[in-house]
Amino acid sequence: MNAVRQLGNGVFSMNGREWSLLVACLLAIIIFSVASPHYATSGNAATVLRNSVELLLIGLGMTLLLAMGGIDVSIGIVMGLAAIAIGRVLGADGNPVLALVAGPVVGALLGCVTATVVVLGRVPAIVGTLGLLGVYRTAVFVLLGGQWLSGLPASLTNLLATTVLGVPVPALVIVAAYLAVWLALRRTPYGLHLLAIGNSEEKARLSGIPVIKIRFVTFVISGILTGVAATFYVATYRNVEMTIGSTLALDAIAAVILGGTSILGGKCSLIGTVLGVLLLRILQNGLLLIGVPSLWQPVVTGVLIIGVLGFEAISNRFPVVQLLRARA
Amino acid sequence: MTAPFLVARNIGKRFGALTALANVDLEIRSGEVLALLGDNGAGKSTFIKILAGAHPPSDGELVIEGNPVSFHSPKDAAASGIATIFQELALSENLSIAENVFLGRELKRSIFGIPFLKRQEMRQRVDGLLKELDAHISDPEAPVGSLSGGQRQAVAICRALNLNARLVIMDEPTAALAVAETRKVLALTRRLAARGCAVVLISHNISEVFEVADRIVVFRRGRKVAERLAAETDHEEVVSLITGAHPDVRALEKTN
Ligand SMILES: Nc1ncnc2c1ncn2[C@@H]1O[C@H](COP(=O)(O)OP(=O)(O)OP(=O)(O)O)[C@@H](O)[C@H]1O
Ligand SMILES: [Mg+2]
Repeated sequence: MNAVRQLGNGVFSMNGREWSLLVACLLAIIIFSVASPHYATSGNAATVLRNSVELLLIGLGMTLLLAMGGIDVSIGIVMGLAAIAIGRVLGADGNPVLALVAGPVVGALLGCVTATVVVLGRVPAIVGTLGLLGVYRTAVFVLLGGQWLSGLPASLTNLLATTVLGVPVPALVIVAAYLAVWLALRRTPYGLHLLAIGNSEEKARLSGIPVIKIRFVTFVISGILTGVAATFYVATYRNVEMTIGSTLALDAIAAVILGGTSILGGKCSLIGTVLGVLLLRILQNGLLLIGVPSLWQPVVTGVLIIGVLGFEAISNRFPVVQLLRARA
Repeated sequence: MTAPFLVARNIGKRFGALTALANVDLEIRSGEVLALLGDNGAGKSTFIKILAGAHPPSDGELVIEGNPVSFHSPKDAAASGIATIFQELALSENLSIAENVFLGRELKRSIFGIPFLKRQEMRQRVDGLLKELDAHISDPEAPVGSLSGGQRQAVAICRALNLNARLVIMDEPTAALAVAETRKVLALTRRLAARGCAVVLISHNISEVFEVADRIVVFRRGRKVAERLAAETDHEEVVSLITGAHPDVRALEKTN
Protein backbone atom coordinates (compact mmCIF):
# COMPACT_ATOMS: atom_id res chain seq x y z
CA MET A 1 0.00 0.00 0.00
CA ASN A 2 2.83 2.32 0.96
CA ALA A 3 4.56 1.58 -2.33
CA VAL A 4 1.37 2.38 -4.22
CA ARG A 5 1.00 5.67 -2.37
CA GLN A 6 4.61 6.57 -3.16
CA LEU A 7 4.11 5.68 -6.81
CA GLY A 8 0.98 7.83 -7.09
CA ASN A 9 2.38 10.77 -5.15
CA GLY A 10 1.44 14.00 -6.94
CA VAL A 11 -0.73 12.41 -9.62
CA PHE A 12 -3.33 15.20 -9.35
CA SER A 13 -1.20 18.05 -8.02
CA MET A 14 -1.78 21.29 -9.91
CA ASN A 15 0.28 24.40 -10.56
CA GLY A 16 -0.83 28.00 -11.19
CA ARG A 17 -1.45 27.47 -14.89
CA GLU A 18 -3.65 24.47 -14.20
CA TRP A 19 -5.68 26.23 -11.51
CA SER A 20 -6.30 29.16 -13.87
CA LEU A 21 -7.55 26.72 -16.50
CA LEU A 22 -9.96 25.22 -13.98
CA VAL A 23 -11.16 28.71 -13.09
CA ALA A 24 -11.55 29.52 -16.80
CA CYS A 25 -13.71 26.39 -17.23
CA LEU A 26 -15.92 27.39 -14.30
CA LEU A 27 -16.18 31.00 -15.52
CA ALA A 28 -17.17 29.84 -19.00
CA ILE A 29 -19.83 27.58 -17.49
CA ILE A 30 -21.25 30.44 -15.41
CA ILE A 31 -21.30 32.86 -18.34
CA PHE A 32 -22.98 30.37 -20.69
CA SER A 33 -25.52 29.43 -18.01
CA VAL A 34 -26.56 33.06 -17.75
CA ALA A 35 -26.56 33.53 -21.54
CA SER A 36 -28.56 30.45 -22.51
CA PRO A 37 -31.43 28.68 -20.71
CA HIS A 38 -30.51 25.41 -22.42
CA TYR A 39 -26.97 25.42 -21.09
CA ALA A 40 -27.05 24.37 -17.45
CA THR A 41 -28.83 21.05 -17.88
CA SER A 42 -27.59 17.60 -16.97
CA GLY A 43 -28.22 16.57 -20.56
CA ASN A 44 -25.88 19.25 -21.85
CA ALA A 45 -23.20 18.41 -19.31
CA ALA A 46 -23.35 14.82 -20.54
CA THR A 47 -23.02 16.08 -24.13
CA VAL A 48 -19.89 18.09 -23.32
CA LEU A 49 -18.28 15.14 -21.56
CA ARG A 50 -19.30 12.78 -24.36
CA ASN A 51 -17.79 15.14 -26.93
CA SER A 52 -14.53 15.20 -24.96
CA VAL A 53 -13.84 11.44 -24.98
CA GLU A 54 -11.88 11.17 -28.24
CA LEU A 55 -10.01 14.42 -27.69
CA LEU A 56 -8.95 13.40 -24.17
CA LEU A 57 -7.42 10.15 -25.42
CA ILE A 58 -5.74 11.76 -28.42
CA GLY A 59 -4.63 14.70 -26.24
CA LEU A 60 -2.72 12.36 -23.91
CA GLY A 61 -0.73 11.04 -26.87
CA MET A 62 -0.22 14.53 -28.29
CA THR A 63 1.12 15.65 -24.90
CA LEU A 64 3.80 12.97 -25.08
CA LEU A 65 4.64 13.94 -28.67
CA LEU A 66 4.97 17.65 -27.94
CA ALA A 67 6.94 16.96 -24.73
CA MET A 68 9.38 14.99 -26.89
CA GLY A 69 9.71 17.87 -29.35
CA GLY A 70 7.49 16.04 -31.85
CA ILE A 71 4.01 16.66 -33.21
CA ASP A 72 1.45 14.81 -35.35
CA VAL A 73 -0.86 16.93 -37.48
CA SER A 74 -2.30 13.82 -39.16
CA ILE A 75 -3.71 12.37 -35.95
CA GLY A 76 -7.38 13.23 -36.75
CA ILE A 77 -7.26 11.34 -40.03
CA VAL A 78 -5.46 8.46 -38.31
CA MET A 79 -8.54 8.22 -36.12
CA GLY A 80 -10.63 8.30 -39.30
CA LEU A 81 -8.73 5.37 -40.80
CA ALA A 82 -8.99 3.40 -37.57
CA ALA A 83 -12.73 4.16 -37.46
CA ILE A 84 -13.16 2.85 -41.02
CA ALA A 85 -11.37 -0.37 -40.04
CA ILE A 86 -13.62 -0.77 -37.00
CA GLY A 87 -16.69 -0.02 -39.12
CA ARG A 88 -15.71 -2.62 -41.71
CA VAL A 89 -15.14 -5.30 -39.06
CA LEU A 90 -18.41 -4.41 -37.39
CA GLY A 91 -20.32 -4.26 -40.67
CA ALA A 92 -19.03 -7.69 -41.74
CA ASP A 93 -20.48 -9.78 -38.91
CA GLY A 94 -21.22 -7.43 -36.02
CA ASN A 95 -18.60 -9.14 -33.84
CA PRO A 96 -17.86 -6.52 -31.14
CA VAL A 97 -14.75 -8.26 -29.76
CA LEU A 98 -12.98 -8.15 -33.10
CA ALA A 99 -14.11 -4.52 -33.47
CA LEU A 100 -12.61 -3.71 -30.06
CA VAL A 101 -9.23 -5.03 -31.17
CA ALA A 102 -9.32 -3.39 -34.62
CA GLY A 103 -8.97 0.22 -33.39
CA PRO A 104 -5.81 -0.09 -31.26
CA VAL A 105 -4.19 -2.46 -33.78
CA VAL A 106 -4.74 -0.15 -36.76
CA GLY A 107 -3.73 2.82 -34.58
CA ALA A 108 -0.49 1.08 -33.62
CA LEU A 109 0.27 0.17 -37.25
CA LEU A 110 -0.31 3.74 -38.44
CA GLY A 111 1.85 4.93 -35.52
CA CYS A 112 4.59 2.67 -36.90
CA VAL A 113 4.16 4.23 -40.36
CA THR A 114 4.44 7.75 -38.93
CA ALA A 115 7.46 6.77 -36.83
CA THR A 116 9.12 5.19 -39.86
CA VAL A 117 8.79 8.43 -41.81
CA VAL A 118 9.59 10.84 -38.98
CA VAL A 119 12.03 8.90 -36.79
CA LEU A 120 13.77 6.44 -39.10
CA GLY A 121 13.43 8.68 -42.17
CA ARG A 122 14.56 11.74 -40.18
CA VAL A 123 11.89 13.95 -41.75
CA PRO A 124 10.96 16.76 -39.33
CA ALA A 125 7.74 15.73 -37.55
CA ILE A 126 5.68 18.71 -38.70
CA VAL A 127 6.58 18.13 -42.35
CA GLY A 128 6.39 14.34 -42.26
CA THR A 129 2.98 14.22 -40.63
CA LEU A 130 1.70 16.97 -42.94
CA GLY A 131 2.70 14.76 -45.87
CA LEU A 132 0.99 11.77 -44.28
CA LEU A 133 -2.11 13.91 -43.69
CA GLY A 134 -2.42 14.41 -47.43
CA VAL A 135 -1.93 10.70 -48.13
CA TYR A 136 -4.35 9.56 -45.42
CA ARG A 137 -7.05 12.02 -46.43
CA THR A 138 -7.11 10.52 -49.89
CA ALA A 139 -7.01 7.04 -48.37
CA VAL A 140 -10.15 7.85 -46.35
CA PHE A 141 -11.87 9.08 -49.51
CA VAL A 142 -10.89 5.99 -51.50
CA LEU A 143 -11.80 3.56 -48.72
CA LEU A 144 -15.20 5.12 -48.20
CA GLY A 145 -15.75 5.39 -51.97
CA GLY A 146 -17.39 8.77 -51.55
CA GLN A 147 -20.06 7.39 -49.24
CA TRP A 148 -20.62 7.41 -45.51
CA LEU A 149 -20.20 4.20 -43.60
CA SER A 150 -23.56 4.22 -41.83
CA GLY A 151 -26.13 2.10 -40.03
CA LEU A 152 -23.47 0.00 -38.32
CA PRO A 153 -24.69 -2.74 -35.93
CA ALA A 154 -25.29 -1.71 -32.33
CA SER A 155 -23.22 -4.52 -30.82
CA LEU A 156 -20.17 -2.34 -30.09
CA THR A 157 -22.38 0.44 -28.76
CA ASN A 158 -24.12 -1.99 -26.41
CA LEU A 159 -20.74 -3.05 -25.09
CA LEU A 160 -19.33 0.44 -24.48
CA ALA A 161 -22.43 2.47 -23.59
CA THR A 162 -22.79 0.57 -20.31
CA THR A 163 -21.67 1.41 -16.82
CA VAL A 164 -19.52 -0.54 -14.37
CA LEU A 165 -20.50 0.10 -10.74
CA GLY A 166 -22.35 3.17 -11.96
CA VAL A 167 -19.35 4.62 -13.84
CA PRO A 168 -19.64 4.90 -17.65
CA VAL A 169 -17.14 2.71 -19.52
CA PRO A 170 -15.57 5.66 -21.44
CA ALA A 171 -14.79 7.38 -18.13
CA LEU A 172 -13.12 4.22 -16.82
CA VAL A 173 -11.02 3.85 -19.96
CA ILE A 174 -9.96 7.50 -19.84
CA VAL A 175 -8.95 7.31 -16.18
CA ALA A 176 -7.00 4.11 -16.88
CA ALA A 177 -5.28 5.70 -19.89
CA TYR A 178 -4.47 8.83 -17.88
CA LEU A 179 -2.94 6.85 -15.03
CA ALA A 180 -0.93 4.66 -17.40
CA VAL A 181 0.48 7.65 -19.28
CA TRP A 182 1.13 9.57 -16.06
CA LEU A 183 3.02 6.66 -14.51
CA ALA A 184 5.06 6.15 -17.66
CA LEU A 185 5.91 9.85 -17.80
CA ARG A 186 6.68 10.53 -14.14
CA ARG A 187 7.72 7.21 -12.69
CA THR A 188 9.67 5.29 -15.31
CA PRO A 189 12.96 5.86 -17.16
CA TYR A 190 10.88 6.24 -20.35
CA GLY A 191 9.42 9.53 -19.08
CA LEU A 192 12.82 10.95 -18.16
CA HIS A 193 14.22 9.96 -21.53
CA LEU A 194 11.26 11.52 -23.34
CA LEU A 195 11.69 14.83 -21.51
CA ALA A 196 15.45 14.80 -22.06
CA ILE A 197 14.91 14.29 -25.80
CA GLY A 198 12.41 17.16 -25.81
CA ASN A 199 15.03 19.36 -24.17
CA SER A 200 17.78 18.43 -26.63
CA GLU A 201 18.06 15.37 -28.80
CA GLU A 202 21.85 15.69 -29.06
CA LYS A 203 22.37 15.99 -25.30
CA ALA A 204 20.05 13.03 -24.76
CA ARG A 205 22.14 11.00 -27.20
CA LEU A 206 25.37 12.02 -25.45
CA SER A 207 23.80 10.91 -22.15
CA GLY A 208 23.41 7.40 -23.55
CA ILE A 209 19.64 7.51 -24.13
CA PRO A 210 18.28 5.28 -26.94
CA VAL A 211 16.77 8.29 -28.72
CA ILE A 212 15.45 6.49 -31.81
CA LYS A 213 13.73 3.77 -29.80
CA ILE A 214 12.04 6.22 -27.41
CA ARG A 215 10.82 8.44 -30.26
CA PHE A 216 9.53 5.46 -32.25
CA VAL A 217 7.67 4.00 -29.28
CA THR A 218 6.05 7.35 -28.50
CA PHE A 219 4.52 7.64 -31.98
CA VAL A 220 3.17 4.11 -31.57
CA ILE A 221 1.67 4.93 -28.15
CA SER A 222 -0.03 7.98 -29.66
CA GLY A 223 -1.37 5.75 -32.46
CA ILE A 224 -2.79 3.22 -30.00
CA LEU A 225 -4.55 5.93 -27.96
CA THR A 226 -5.98 7.30 -31.22
CA GLY A 227 -7.22 3.81 -32.12
CA VAL A 228 -9.02 3.58 -28.77
CA ALA A 229 -10.54 7.00 -29.46
CA ALA A 230 -11.79 5.69 -32.82
CA THR A 231 -13.48 2.79 -31.05
CA PHE A 232 -15.50 5.18 -28.89
CA TYR A 233 -16.27 7.32 -31.93
CA VAL A 234 -17.77 4.39 -33.85
CA ALA A 235 -19.61 3.10 -30.78
CA THR A 236 -21.22 6.50 -30.27
CA TYR A 237 -22.18 7.54 -33.79
CA ARG A 238 -22.40 4.17 -35.55
CA ASN A 239 -21.27 5.80 -38.76
CA VAL A 240 -18.09 7.19 -40.32
CA GLU A 241 -18.40 10.31 -42.47
CA MET A 242 -16.05 11.64 -45.13
CA THR A 243 -14.84 14.56 -43.02
CA ILE A 244 -14.08 12.47 -39.92
CA GLY A 245 -11.37 13.90 -37.68
CA SER A 246 -10.64 16.92 -39.86
CA THR A 247 -10.40 19.35 -36.92
CA LEU A 248 -9.13 16.90 -34.30
CA ALA A 249 -5.39 17.55 -34.70
CA LEU A 250 -5.95 21.30 -34.39
CA ASP A 251 -8.14 20.78 -31.31
CA ALA A 252 -5.64 18.38 -29.73
CA ILE A 253 -2.65 20.67 -30.27
CA ALA A 254 -4.65 23.64 -28.94
CA ALA A 255 -5.77 21.79 -25.82
CA VAL A 256 -2.27 20.49 -25.07
CA ILE A 257 -0.64 23.91 -25.48
CA LEU A 258 -3.42 25.50 -23.46
CA GLY A 259 -2.61 22.98 -20.71
CA GLY A 260 0.95 24.24 -20.35
CA THR A 261 2.89 21.75 -22.46
CA SER A 262 5.72 23.47 -24.30
CA ILE A 263 5.48 23.52 -28.09
CA LEU A 264 9.29 23.39 -28.03
CA GLY A 265 9.37 20.19 -25.97
CA GLY A 266 10.90 19.24 -22.64
CA LYS A 267 8.01 20.29 -20.47
CA CYS A 268 4.46 19.00 -20.21
CA SER A 269 1.36 18.74 -18.05
CA LEU A 270 -1.12 15.89 -18.35
CA ILE A 271 -3.66 17.41 -15.98
CA GLY A 272 -3.27 20.61 -18.02
CA THR A 273 -4.15 18.67 -21.16
CA VAL A 274 -7.31 17.30 -19.53
CA LEU A 275 -8.36 20.79 -18.44
CA GLY A 276 -7.43 22.20 -21.85
CA VAL A 277 -9.67 19.65 -23.58
CA LEU A 278 -12.56 20.41 -21.23
CA LEU A 279 -12.18 24.18 -21.68
CA LEU A 280 -12.11 23.81 -25.46
CA ARG A 281 -15.20 21.58 -25.52
CA ILE A 282 -17.05 23.82 -23.03
CA LEU A 283 -16.37 26.86 -25.21
CA GLN A 284 -17.35 25.10 -28.43
CA ASN A 285 -20.58 23.75 -26.93
CA GLY A 286 -21.49 27.00 -25.19
CA LEU A 287 -20.92 29.13 -28.28
CA LEU A 288 -23.14 26.77 -30.26
CA LEU A 289 -25.92 27.07 -27.68
CA ILE A 290 -25.84 30.86 -27.66
CA GLY A 291 -26.26 30.78 -31.43
CA VAL A 292 -22.75 30.95 -32.92
CA PRO A 293 -22.70 28.67 -36.00
CA SER A 294 -20.44 25.60 -35.69
CA LEU A 295 -18.53 26.91 -38.70
CA TRP A 296 -16.80 29.25 -36.25
CA GLN A 297 -15.45 26.52 -33.98
CA PRO A 298 -12.04 26.16 -35.68
CA VAL A 299 -11.71 29.93 -35.47
CA VAL A 300 -12.09 29.77 -31.70
CA THR A 301 -9.48 27.01 -31.53
CA GLY A 302 -7.08 28.88 -33.79
CA VAL A 303 -7.42 32.08 -31.82
CA LEU A 304 -6.78 30.17 -28.59
CA ILE A 305 -3.53 28.67 -29.98
CA ILE A 306 -2.30 32.01 -31.27
CA GLY A 307 -3.37 33.74 -28.07
CA VAL A 308 -1.58 31.32 -25.75
CA LEU A 309 1.62 31.14 -27.79
CA GLY A 310 1.57 34.90 -28.32
CA PHE A 311 1.12 35.53 -24.63
CA GLU A 312 3.97 33.16 -23.78
CA ALA A 313 6.27 34.82 -26.29
CA ILE A 314 5.44 38.26 -24.94
CA SER A 315 5.75 37.27 -21.30
CA ASN A 316 9.17 35.78 -22.02
CA ARG A 317 10.26 39.04 -23.61
CA PHE A 318 8.85 41.57 -21.20
CA PRO A 319 10.30 41.41 -17.70
CA VAL A 320 7.21 43.06 -16.19
CA VAL A 321 5.04 40.10 -17.05
CA GLN A 322 7.70 37.70 -15.76
CA LEU A 323 7.82 39.62 -12.52
CA LEU A 324 4.05 39.42 -12.17
CA ARG A 325 4.24 35.72 -12.88
CA ALA A 326 6.99 35.19 -10.34
CA ARG A 327 4.86 36.95 -7.74
CA ALA A 328 1.79 34.87 -8.52
CA MET B 1 55.71 3.15 -15.08
CA THR B 2 52.39 1.30 -15.25
CA ALA B 3 50.81 0.15 -18.52
CA PRO B 4 48.54 2.83 -20.00
CA PHE B 5 44.78 2.57 -19.45
CA LEU B 6 44.03 3.74 -22.97
CA VAL B 7 46.13 3.93 -26.10
CA ALA B 8 44.96 5.90 -29.16
CA ARG B 9 46.76 4.87 -32.35
CA ASN B 10 46.90 6.93 -35.50
CA ILE B 11 43.49 8.51 -34.90
CA GLY B 12 42.06 10.57 -37.77
CA LYS B 13 38.70 12.26 -38.21
CA ARG B 14 37.24 13.92 -41.29
CA PHE B 15 34.00 15.88 -41.50
CA GLY B 16 33.34 15.78 -45.24
CA ALA B 17 36.26 17.59 -46.83
CA LEU B 18 37.51 19.00 -43.53
CA THR B 19 40.24 17.04 -41.74
CA ALA B 20 39.67 17.76 -38.04
CA LEU B 21 42.25 15.22 -36.81
CA ALA B 22 45.14 13.31 -38.39
CA ASN B 23 47.62 10.70 -37.09
CA VAL B 24 47.09 11.28 -33.38
CA ASP B 25 48.96 8.84 -31.09
CA LEU B 26 48.36 9.20 -27.38
CA GLU B 27 48.65 7.19 -24.17
CA ILE B 28 46.50 7.89 -21.17
CA ARG B 29 47.59 6.50 -17.78
CA SER B 30 45.66 5.78 -14.61
CA GLY B 31 46.33 8.16 -11.73
CA GLU B 32 47.61 10.81 -14.08
CA VAL B 33 46.16 14.15 -15.17
CA LEU B 34 46.82 14.69 -18.86
CA ALA B 35 46.20 18.19 -20.21
CA LEU B 36 45.24 18.75 -23.84
CA LEU B 37 46.15 22.20 -25.07
CA GLY B 38 45.71 23.92 -28.39
CA ASP B 39 44.23 26.87 -30.21
CA ASN B 40 40.53 27.17 -31.05
CA GLY B 41 39.64 24.58 -33.66
CA ALA B 42 42.81 22.54 -33.02
CA GLY B 43 40.72 19.36 -32.70
CA LYS B 44 40.70 18.85 -28.93
CA SER B 45 36.94 18.47 -28.58
CA THR B 46 36.80 16.26 -31.65
CA PHE B 47 39.47 13.97 -30.16
CA ILE B 48 37.71 13.52 -26.85
CA LYS B 49 34.37 12.98 -28.61
CA ILE B 50 36.02 9.98 -30.26
CA LEU B 51 37.18 8.72 -26.86
CA ALA B 52 33.63 9.28 -25.57
CA GLY B 53 31.98 7.28 -28.35
CA ALA B 54 30.16 10.36 -29.66
CA HIS B 55 31.97 10.31 -33.03
CA PRO B 56 33.37 7.24 -34.76
CA PRO B 57 36.98 7.86 -35.85
CA SER B 58 37.66 7.90 -39.61
CA ASP B 59 41.05 6.19 -39.06
CA GLY B 60 43.01 4.52 -36.31
CA GLU B 61 42.08 2.49 -33.28
CA LEU B 62 41.55 2.73 -29.54
CA VAL B 63 43.00 0.13 -27.20
CA ILE B 64 41.85 -0.16 -23.60
CA GLU B 65 44.09 -2.20 -21.29
CA GLY B 66 45.47 -4.08 -24.26
CA ASN B 67 42.12 -4.80 -25.94
CA PRO B 68 41.06 -2.98 -29.10
CA VAL B 69 37.62 -1.39 -28.70
CA SER B 70 35.21 0.29 -31.07
CA PHE B 71 32.51 2.53 -29.69
CA HIS B 72 29.21 2.92 -31.51
CA SER B 73 27.60 5.19 -28.94
CA PRO B 74 28.38 7.09 -25.73
CA LYS B 75 26.83 4.14 -23.92
CA ASP B 76 29.59 1.84 -25.20
CA ALA B 77 32.28 4.22 -23.95
CA ALA B 78 30.56 4.47 -20.57
CA ALA B 79 30.49 0.68 -20.37
CA SER B 80 34.28 0.71 -20.83
CA GLY B 81 34.63 3.09 -17.90
CA ILE B 82 34.98 6.36 -19.79
CA ALA B 83 32.98 9.33 -18.51
CA THR B 84 33.01 12.57 -20.43
CA ILE B 85 32.08 16.03 -19.32
CA PHE B 86 31.48 17.78 -22.62
CA GLN B 87 32.35 21.40 -23.28
CA GLU B 88 28.67 22.08 -23.92
CA LEU B 89 27.81 20.07 -20.76
CA ALA B 90 25.39 17.41 -21.98
CA LEU B 91 22.97 18.09 -19.13
CA SER B 92 19.21 18.28 -19.58
CA GLU B 93 18.24 21.72 -18.28
CA ASN B 94 14.62 20.67 -17.69
CA LEU B 95 15.49 17.75 -15.39
CA SER B 96 16.56 17.76 -11.74
CA ILE B 97 20.09 17.08 -10.46
CA ALA B 98 19.40 13.48 -9.50
CA GLU B 99 17.64 12.84 -12.81
CA ASN B 100 20.64 14.22 -14.68
CA VAL B 101 23.22 12.30 -12.67
CA PHE B 102 21.43 9.02 -13.41
CA LEU B 103 20.08 9.81 -16.88
CA GLY B 104 20.45 6.80 -19.16
CA ARG B 105 21.47 4.56 -16.22
CA GLU B 106 18.59 4.99 -13.79
CA LEU B 107 18.12 2.86 -10.70
CA LYS B 108 14.88 0.98 -11.09
CA ARG B 109 12.74 -1.74 -9.60
CA SER B 110 10.44 -3.94 -11.58
CA ILE B 111 6.74 -4.11 -10.65
CA PHE B 112 4.68 -6.43 -12.88
CA GLY B 113 7.55 -6.31 -15.35
CA ILE B 114 7.41 -2.50 -15.61
CA PRO B 115 10.62 -0.69 -14.64
CA PHE B 116 9.82 2.02 -12.08
CA LEU B 117 12.36 4.63 -10.99
CA LYS B 118 13.86 4.35 -7.51
CA ARG B 119 13.71 8.08 -6.95
CA GLN B 120 14.56 8.07 -3.25
CA GLU B 121 17.67 5.93 -3.68
CA MET B 122 18.88 8.06 -6.60
CA ARG B 123 18.34 11.21 -4.58
CA GLN B 124 20.28 9.80 -1.61
CA ARG B 125 23.23 8.75 -3.77
CA VAL B 126 23.36 12.19 -5.37
CA ASP B 127 23.16 13.98 -2.01
CA GLY B 128 26.15 11.90 -0.90
CA LEU B 129 28.13 12.72 -4.04
CA LEU B 130 27.37 16.45 -3.76
CA LYS B 131 28.56 16.41 -0.16
CA GLU B 132 31.74 14.63 -1.20
CA LEU B 133 32.34 17.37 -3.78
CA ASP B 134 31.60 20.04 -1.23
CA ALA B 135 29.04 21.52 -3.63
CA HIS B 136 26.29 23.55 -2.01
CA ILE B 137 22.96 23.48 -3.81
CA SER B 138 19.99 24.86 -1.94
CA ASP B 139 17.26 23.04 -3.85
CA PRO B 140 18.38 19.68 -5.28
CA GLU B 141 14.95 19.21 -6.91
CA ALA B 142 15.27 22.38 -8.99
CA PRO B 143 15.80 21.95 -12.73
CA VAL B 144 19.48 22.04 -13.68
CA GLY B 145 18.75 25.00 -16.00
CA SER B 146 18.32 27.20 -12.93
CA LEU B 147 21.79 26.40 -11.50
CA SER B 148 24.97 28.48 -11.78
CA GLY B 149 27.82 27.47 -14.10
CA GLY B 150 29.85 25.99 -11.26
CA GLN B 151 26.90 24.11 -9.86
CA ARG B 152 26.23 22.63 -13.30
CA GLN B 153 29.86 21.58 -13.54
CA ALA B 154 29.48 19.89 -10.16
CA VAL B 155 26.43 18.02 -11.45
CA ALA B 156 28.37 16.89 -14.52
CA ILE B 157 31.25 15.71 -12.31
CA CYS B 158 28.77 13.85 -10.07
CA ARG B 159 27.58 12.07 -13.18
CA ALA B 160 31.14 10.97 -13.96
CA LEU B 161 31.82 9.89 -10.36
CA ASN B 162 28.57 7.96 -10.24
CA LEU B 163 29.69 5.97 -13.26
CA ASN B 164 32.72 4.77 -11.28
CA ALA B 165 34.68 5.88 -14.29
CA ARG B 166 38.26 4.71 -14.91
CA LEU B 167 38.86 7.66 -17.23
CA VAL B 168 37.23 11.05 -16.73
CA ILE B 169 37.46 13.54 -19.57
CA MET B 170 36.74 17.20 -18.91
CA ASP B 171 36.43 19.69 -21.76
CA GLU B 172 37.15 23.21 -20.46
CA PRO B 173 35.50 22.56 -17.09
CA THR B 174 36.50 25.92 -15.63
CA ALA B 175 35.86 28.14 -18.66
CA ALA B 176 32.66 29.62 -17.26
CA LEU B 177 33.58 29.61 -13.57
CA ALA B 178 34.43 32.23 -10.99
CA VAL B 179 37.66 31.95 -9.00
CA ALA B 180 36.32 30.02 -6.01
CA GLU B 181 34.46 27.53 -8.15
CA THR B 182 37.50 27.07 -10.40
CA ARG B 183 39.60 26.17 -7.34
CA LYS B 184 37.07 23.54 -6.34
CA VAL B 185 36.99 21.93 -9.78
CA LEU B 186 40.81 21.85 -9.94
CA ALA B 187 41.05 20.28 -6.49
CA LEU B 188 38.52 17.75 -7.65
CA THR B 189 40.58 16.93 -10.71
CA ARG B 190 43.54 16.07 -8.48
CA ARG B 191 41.30 14.04 -6.19
CA LEU B 192 40.06 11.98 -9.13
CA ALA B 193 43.63 11.18 -10.12
CA ALA B 194 44.52 10.33 -6.52
CA ARG B 195 41.69 7.80 -6.54
CA GLY B 196 43.48 6.05 -9.42
CA CYS B 197 41.36 7.55 -12.17
CA ALA B 198 42.91 8.67 -15.43
CA VAL B 199 41.96 12.28 -16.13
CA VAL B 200 42.07 14.16 -19.41
CA LEU B 201 41.65 17.90 -19.04
CA ILE B 202 41.18 20.42 -21.82
CA SER B 203 41.88 24.02 -20.92
CA HIS B 204 42.98 27.30 -22.44
CA ASN B 205 44.29 28.49 -19.09
CA ILE B 206 47.97 27.55 -18.98
CA SER B 207 48.66 28.42 -15.34
CA GLU B 208 45.69 26.27 -14.40
CA VAL B 209 47.15 23.42 -16.44
CA PHE B 210 50.51 23.68 -14.69
CA GLU B 211 48.73 23.54 -11.37
CA VAL B 212 47.08 20.16 -11.94
CA ALA B 213 48.58 18.36 -14.94
CA ASP B 214 51.25 15.66 -14.89
CA ARG B 215 51.64 15.62 -18.64
CA ILE B 216 50.87 18.16 -21.36
CA VAL B 217 49.95 17.41 -24.96
CA VAL B 218 49.62 20.16 -27.55
CA PHE B 219 47.33 19.95 -30.60
CA ARG B 220 47.68 22.17 -33.62
CA ARG B 221 45.50 22.07 -36.75
CA GLY B 222 44.31 18.55 -36.04
CA ARG B 223 47.77 17.12 -35.21
CA LYS B 224 49.55 16.34 -32.00
CA VAL B 225 52.64 18.55 -32.18
CA ALA B 226 54.20 18.09 -28.74
CA GLU B 227 54.11 16.07 -25.55
CA ARG B 228 55.92 17.17 -22.36
CA LEU B 229 56.04 16.22 -18.69
CA ALA B 230 54.72 19.24 -16.81
CA ALA B 231 57.77 19.18 -14.56
CA GLU B 232 60.10 19.42 -17.55
CA THR B 233 58.60 22.40 -19.37
CA ASP B 234 57.40 25.89 -18.59
CA HIS B 235 54.71 28.40 -19.42
CA GLU B 236 56.71 30.07 -22.16
CA GLU B 237 57.56 26.89 -24.03
CA VAL B 238 53.96 25.74 -23.95
CA VAL B 239 52.76 29.04 -25.38
CA SER B 240 55.23 28.79 -28.26
CA LEU B 241 54.11 25.21 -28.91
CA ILE B 242 50.48 26.31 -29.11
CA THR B 243 51.14 29.29 -31.37
CA GLY B 244 53.58 27.32 -33.57
CA ALA B 245 56.50 29.63 -32.87
CA HIS B 246 58.49 26.80 -31.24
CA PRO B 247 61.29 25.45 -33.50
CA ASP B 248 60.06 21.83 -33.05
CA VAL B 249 56.62 22.74 -34.34
CA ARG B 250 58.05 24.74 -37.22
CA ALA B 251 60.24 21.83 -38.25
CA LEU B 252 57.27 19.45 -38.02
CA GLU B 253 54.99 21.68 -40.05
CA LYS B 254 57.63 22.15 -42.75
CA THR B 255 57.86 18.41 -43.32
CA ASN B 256 54.08 17.99 -43.61
N1 LIG C 1 30.34 17.97 -36.07
C1 LIG C 1 31.21 18.64 -36.85
N2 LIG C 1 30.97 18.79 -38.17
C2 LIG C 1 31.86 19.46 -38.96
N3 LIG C 1 32.98 20.03 -38.50
C3 LIG C 1 33.28 19.93 -37.20
C4 LIG C 1 32.40 19.23 -36.30
N4 LIG C 1 32.94 19.28 -35.06
C5 LIG C 1 34.09 19.97 -35.19
N5 LIG C 1 34.29 20.36 -36.46
C6 LIG C 1 35.46 21.10 -36.96
O1 LIG C 1 36.62 20.41 -36.56
C7 LIG C 1 37.65 21.32 -36.20
C8 LIG C 1 38.14 21.03 -34.79
O2 LIG C 1 37.10 21.44 -33.88
P1 LIG C 1 37.14 21.15 -32.31
O3 LIG C 1 35.81 21.49 -31.77
O4 LIG C 1 37.65 19.79 -32.07
O5 LIG C 1 38.20 22.22 -31.81
P2 LIG C 1 38.70 22.54 -30.33
O6 LIG C 1 40.16 22.26 -30.30
O7 LIG C 1 37.86 21.83 -29.34
O8 LIG C 1 38.46 24.10 -30.25
P3 LIG C 1 37.95 25.04 -29.01
O9 LIG C 1 39.16 25.36 -28.21
O10 LIG C 1 37.45 26.26 -29.72
O11 LIG C 1 36.91 24.31 -28.27
C9 LIG C 1 37.06 22.72 -36.37
O12 LIG C 1 37.46 23.22 -37.62
C10 LIG C 1 35.57 22.49 -36.35
O13 LIG C 1 34.91 23.46 -37.12
MG1 LIG D 1 36.49 22.47 -27.91
